[in-house]
Formats: sequence, structure tokens, C-alpha cells
Amino acid sequence: MSEITVYTARKIRTMNPSMPEATAVAVRDGRIVEAGSLETLKPWLDAYPHKVDTRFEKHVLMPGFIDPHLHPSLGAILLPCHFITAMTWHLPDRVSPPVTSHEDYVARLREIETSMADPDELLLTWGYHKIWHGIVDRTVLNDISATRPIIVWQRSFHEVIANDAAIDWMKLDRAELERHPQIDLASGRFFETGLAVATKSMNPYLFAPERFGKGLELVKKAIHFGGHTTIGELAYPLINDELEWDILANTIEQDDVPFRMRLVPRGAGPGETDKAVERVNGFQSRKTHRLSFGNGVKLFSDGGFFAELMQMQPPGFIDGHHGEWMTAPERLEALARAFWNEGKQIHVHCTGDMGLELALAILEKLQFERPRFNHRFTIEHFGASTPEQARRIKDLGAIVSANVYYLHELGEAYWRQSIGYERASQMARLGTLESLGVTTALHSDFTMAPALPLNSAWVAVNRLSESGTVLAPEERISLDSAMRAITIDAAYMLGMEDEIGSIRAGKMADFTVLEADPWETAPEDLKDIPIWGTVFEGEPFPLGER
Amino acid sequence: MRIPITLLTGYLGAGKTTIINALLAQNPDRRMAVLVNDFGAVNIDASLIASRDGDTVRLTNGCVCCSIEDDLGTALDALAKSPHPPEHVLLEASGVADPQRIARHAGHWPGFELDAIVTAADCETVRERAADKFVGHLVESQIRAADIIALTKSDLVAPGDAESTTRWLHSLNDDALVTDAPHGRVELALLLGPRPGRPSPPAMPDQPHDAFRTMHWVPQHPVDTEKLSRLLSEMPRAVHRVKGFFVDARTGQMTLLQQVGRRFRFSAAPKTAAPGLVLIASGPDMDLARYHLAFESCQSTVPSERV
Repeated sequence: MSEITVYTARKIRTMNPSMPEATAVAVRDGRIVEAGSLETLKPWLDAYPHKVDTRFEKHVLMPGFIDPHLHPSLGAILLPCHFITAMTWHLPDRVSPPVTSHEDYVARLREIETSMADPDELLLTWGYHKIWHGIVDRTVLNDISATRPIIVWQRSFHEVIANDAAIDWMKLDRAELERHPQIDLASGRFFETGLAVATKSMNPYLFAPERFGKGLELVKKAIHFGGHTTIGELAYPLINDELEWDILANTIEQDDVPFRMRLVPRGAGPGETDKAVERVNGFQSRKTHRLSFGNGVKLFSDGGFFAELMQMQPPGFIDGHHGEWMTAPERLEALARAFWNEGKQIHVHCTGDMGLELALAILEKLQFERPRFNHRFTIEHFGASTPEQARRIKDLGAIVSANVYYLHELGEAYWRQSIGYERASQMARLGTLESLGVTTALHSDFTMAPALPLNSAWVAVNRLSESGTVLAPEERISLDSAMRAITIDAAYMLGMEDEIGSIRAGKMADFTVLEADPWETAPEDLKDIPIWGTVFEGEPFPLGER
Repeated sequence: MRIPITLLTGYLGAGKTTIINALLAQNPDRRMAVLVNDFGAVNIDASLIASRDGDTVRLTNGCVCCSIEDDLGTALDALAKSPHPPEHVLLEASGVADPQRIARHAGHWPGFELDAIVTAADCETVRERAADKFVGHLVESQIRAADIIALTKSDLVAPGDAESTTRWLHSLNDDALVTDAPHGRVELALLLGPRPGRPSPPAMPDQPHDAFRTMHWVPQHPVDTEKLSRLLSEMPRAVHRVKGFFVDARTGQMTLLQQVGRRFRFSAAPKTAAPGLVLIASGPDMDLARYHLAFESCQSTVPSERV
């Protein structure tokens, strides 16, 4: 048994309602021995050798932040790109400042182009959005460089724009591109199914081991940078189990990695539902120190929110288009039933109110057939919903892991162009969930939103749109709920609340070290609280210089 | 030339797998690749299997059957690069795929083109499904997208139900051919189109689709594509497919015509192809004679002895 280390702090926000505040926490072998004050810790300190570490005297400790839903592999593909974004993106190795006009966009892209040493290297940039950056097409890109391949990847990932050098770089038959209805060679746009043609050429570049490895290192930094000590990978594997497990085990299971990862396998797959159950159960015994599979399984209801493919109940979308199902409703029900009867915690990706309706209709049937308590059926994302659905979530015992950032980035755009003000302003209906007492976590679904828990909490508490309008102030939640949603309630989503999520005797010694107390900070400044770093299993990990 | 893809769509349980099984058992007259979503469901007769390698099954008749693992484009590329690329692909769309979207995706993938959209509709349940709050729109969009609707399980419904279902299907999509598919069997030439250049024998009398007629026409002269386009767009619904080669009078180029329902397209063809069109229609023989005359009139120089 090792020596006890006592960390003292200006304040410790334990997130344990029975003792919400403390000033000292004793840690041994990676776990918390006791939280309280130097005075209350005395019986332990008298009994065992210890040292007092006062480095956090001016800091506020919180339980290590938890993002219960993000995708490291997607992040590894994105982070090596040059970011030019309309919103500020704080990244571990750089800050992408807001670029909100066409002129600034072009100037920034030109600046990046000039800065690149190898004249033939592909310039891949992400973050372009027409609403802010105007028309950026082949001609504009050719003007920046006639020789360097330049590919502009649109914010929502559903379109790329290429200059002539990039179209040549793709090594595709131009005649084949010309006849494609979703490729416009004149403007250099590859969208929807045309994007798949471009992606075919980009994949060897995006997934090249060196680039992917570098990307994963950036993801590791980004997760630490956000103050996380635990994350949930909520759809494992992305493509290939063998390959991904190997990479994860080699990059995450390292002494310098200050977080652990709970993996939730995909439930759908080839074959009958009993095969799916067998496959998911097969993961459960796989474990390293930092990587583990719990009792969860991930299912999908409707399509992506950024892609406007969520299934909406009437009156639907303003332009009359329809969303899509990721899984056929009958298939979803059959899978959910198989996993329900196996005693699994089912996480269902639901983005539109009809996607949610389907998930709730299925849960209702399952509860009728074979009632379960503490089943933790989790609604993931929770984009559009109705107040009545929120009440059914409560009645059926479901819980919610919400991507509240949708509201900030898409609230206004969807209000004006997609579903109108009433439903757009009420996306992420968290205030109603809070008043109903539904356990709720916040997640980033990184790379859909920045992997910054304080930023997610900031959106939930303020509901500010990108231009600063408050959208549905009635749905704002209290700071207490928001902070629970990135700590203890997020732990609950992952089935890990006995181990992490609050600071109390027996739990893992995971802390996020803040330079200011969220409860003493103006709500609108919550996202700007500087993070000193984290303590992971008792060991301090400062963020260091950026 | 691009490899044609017939897209087989339809909601869960509509009978797509049964149609695929029936097709593979029918010994197709061309080298087929069948791309399926889930291998487990396709039950290939063991006597037909030549070899099996992971997600690919090779049949003794030269066809292959593969599952679309993660990505359609990857699966198509693999087919195109194989030592013996298929002459035709039957692609099973996932039950929840928007057929127009997947048709755009597959039909414009480099090296491939869309032949037709065939939608399987279950006579017993399709109308109920189309009224469902979750999937009604999807089921309707699959029907609306179809060139050919294969009506399955019509043997399981009361007499008259198949007719009323057919009328209802036509109310959603007046252009599509609705054809009965007992035990998943759809006439090969209808499902995949006739083989151009090699006139297929007329339907055997004992086949379930003996109501289909085949007409062959060999143009003696270059064809006026404007006249032909007008003719094709005015074809009655009883004409299901037209396919074959002709010389374009304006350009002098050998041209491939492919028509399914009201949709047709021209594409460049190798010079060596032999002129000749095959038409598949239902209805009386005398109509075929009328079509024949109409095609003759599309030639830029009408042979003098027939004037």
C-alpha cells in the first residue's frame, strides 16, 4: 500500500449532495480515501503515512469531467485538418478563431496555402459553411492555387469542394464525374452521393497510418484539454474491430494518458438478433486498465441532425423533405427486445421527434412484455422532442444523454431554414427534463461539437444561439443540473457511477482542476473558466503550455 | 461500357431475398453479381455453390453473390476490378434506403450505371405498411421510385386482392409495370433487361410469364434519335423494356438504347456491336406488329420498298 497523498484546494465541489463542499481530499493507490478537511481527515492521517500536496491551494477541484458520448476515431480523422471555422474552436494545439465573412475566409485559406512548404501537399480544410463564408467554389480555390490540390470540407461533412489540382489529385475519370448528378465539376462541388466518389480518393490519405496516428495523439490531447478523465465511445467499432482495438490499446493504454474509455458496442450487425446479442456479449470480457466494455449496447433510430436527416413528426420540414431511418423500425424493435431481455442497457440514437417517438413506442412495448427497473434505456442526442414525449421518458424510466450544442450552432439556422422557430428554439428540451427529474447527461458527440464539457454546460445553462439570442429561456437548466450532467449523471449513463463522477470515499481519484469556481462565475462566462489540468487516478496531469 | 445495375428495393419482408434466391436458381443468361445486405438470409442451393470465400460465394453458373460489408462503393470497386467483372449487377437496397438516393449513388459510381429500379411489394401487407406512421412515407417512396413492381405473395391473398392492390400501386406510380412474382420469380429479361446483340429466346410457354411478348427489330438504316425519343416517350405502359444497338443518323455512332418503363437513355457503344433492338411487352401479338412498324419509321432513310 502506498503513502496517502492529501490534496488541499481552495474549494472542492464534490458533486456528492450529502457533502457538497470540501477543502481536502486524501488519495491512495489511485482511489479516494476520504474527502473533507484536514481536520476531518485526521483519523486516516494519524493511522497512515501521508504527505500534503498544496499545489491546488488556489484552485477549485471537481470530479473529473465525463463525456459519455464521443467518437475518438472520427476526431482522429478531423483534427489534422486545417480548421477555418465560423465559431471559435479551442483545440489542444491551436485556437481556430471565428472567421465569418467570405473575404476573411479566402484570406485565411491563402495564408495557410502560403505557409505550406511542400508545393504538392494536399491542403485539406474543414469548417466551411455557406451561411458565413459565401460561395467558395473551384474558381475561388484555383485562384488561391492552380497547382496545389485544395479540398474544402464542409462543416457538416456532407460536401467537399475541390480545385482543379485536387480533382486531378483524385485520379478519377472526368467523364465519370461529369455525368454524376451530385458532382458539379464547374463549381468543384461533390455532395451527397457524389461525395462518396470523392471520399473514395480521399480515404487512403485520411486513413494513412501516420496521419491517423497523429490524429489520435491530437484526440488524446483534446480530451485532456477539455478536462475529461473518462469518455464513452458510443458506437464501437467505427469500421473494423481488430484494427481499431489494436490502435486504441496501443495509443490509449499508455502511462501518459490521463483518461479511461468505456466502449459501447454497436448492436446492429449481420445475421439474426441472437447473433447480435452473442457478438455484443463477446466484448464484455475484453478489458485493459483504461479500456472497458460495460453492459451497454448502442442502437440507432433516425438519421443525422447536422445532415437534417432526423425523422420529424408532422408538420415536418419547411422544404418538405423527409428524414431517414438508420435502422428499419421493426428491426430496431427486434434488436431492442433481444437486448432488453438480455438485461442490457440500451442506448438509442434519436435526433428527431419521430425518431424519439419510435424509441419510446418500443420501450413501452418492452416494459409491458417484461417490466424492468433501473434499465437505463438512454435517449442519445435528444434533438427535437415534444413536452409530452419528455413526460413519457420519465414515465418509462428512461434517461437522456443530450447534445445540447445543437441548439447553439444550429438553433437559428434551423429556425430560419429548416423547421421554424417554435420547434428549433425548443430543441434539447432540458428544462422540462430537469423539472420532471429525468437523469440527464451532456455530451459532445465529438466531432459534432467541441469536446469541452464546460462549453456544453454553458449552452445548457444559457441557451444562447450563435448570434447571442436566448432560445426558449424556459428550457434553461440550473448550474447544479448542468454540472451534474458532466460528472455524476454522465457516470450514470455509462453505468460507472459507483466508481467515478463525484468525490467521495472509495471512488477513483479523478479530478478536474479549475482556476475558478463555476458557482461563483457568471453563467455566461462558464465556458471561459480556465482549466489547470486534471488528476487521473491520483496523479496530476497539468495541461501545460499550448 | 459501364456495368448495368438493377436496384432491388422494398421494405423489410417485402420479398427481396426470395426474388434473389429465385434469380440465382434460374441460371441467369449472363455473368451476374448479386450484392446483398445480409448474407445470412440468402439461401443458395448447395449444389449451385462452387466456392465460398468469406463474404463472397461463387456459383457454378458463373455468378457471384457478395454482401455489402461496410460500403457500397468499395463493394462495386471490388467487382469492377475482379478478373471476370460481372456483366450485370443486382443490388439489394437496405429496407430503409431511400431508393432514389441509392440509385443515384450506385448508378453514378464510376464504371456503373443504373439499369432499373425494381421494387418488391408484399401483396398482403404493402397497403398497411404504406399507412404506418413510421415507415409509410418510405414505403410510398419505394413504390413511386419503381420502374417495375414485383408483387409478391399474391398467392396468399383472397382472389381480387391482387387486382385491387395493383390498382392501388398504379394510383401511386402509373408508369411502373406491376408484375406478379410467385415464389419470387420474375421473368429474367424483365428483371435484368434483354441481352443486347444476342436475341434471347422467346419466353417458354410453361413459364409463369407467358403473357410477355418479345419483339426483335434489326434496323437496316441509321436511326433518327429525335424521332426515336418521341416514340419511346409515347410508348404505352404495356412496353416494359427496350434495349439494343443502332447507328445514330446524326453522328454515325453506334449507340446503345436502354429503356425501362418511361425512362430511357442513349449511350455510346463499341463500333463492333451489331444493330438490333429487343422489346419486351405484354398484350396481344398484334401490338408487337404495331411497335415494329413504329420503329421502322424512326429510320432516317425509310426503305423504299416498304413505303
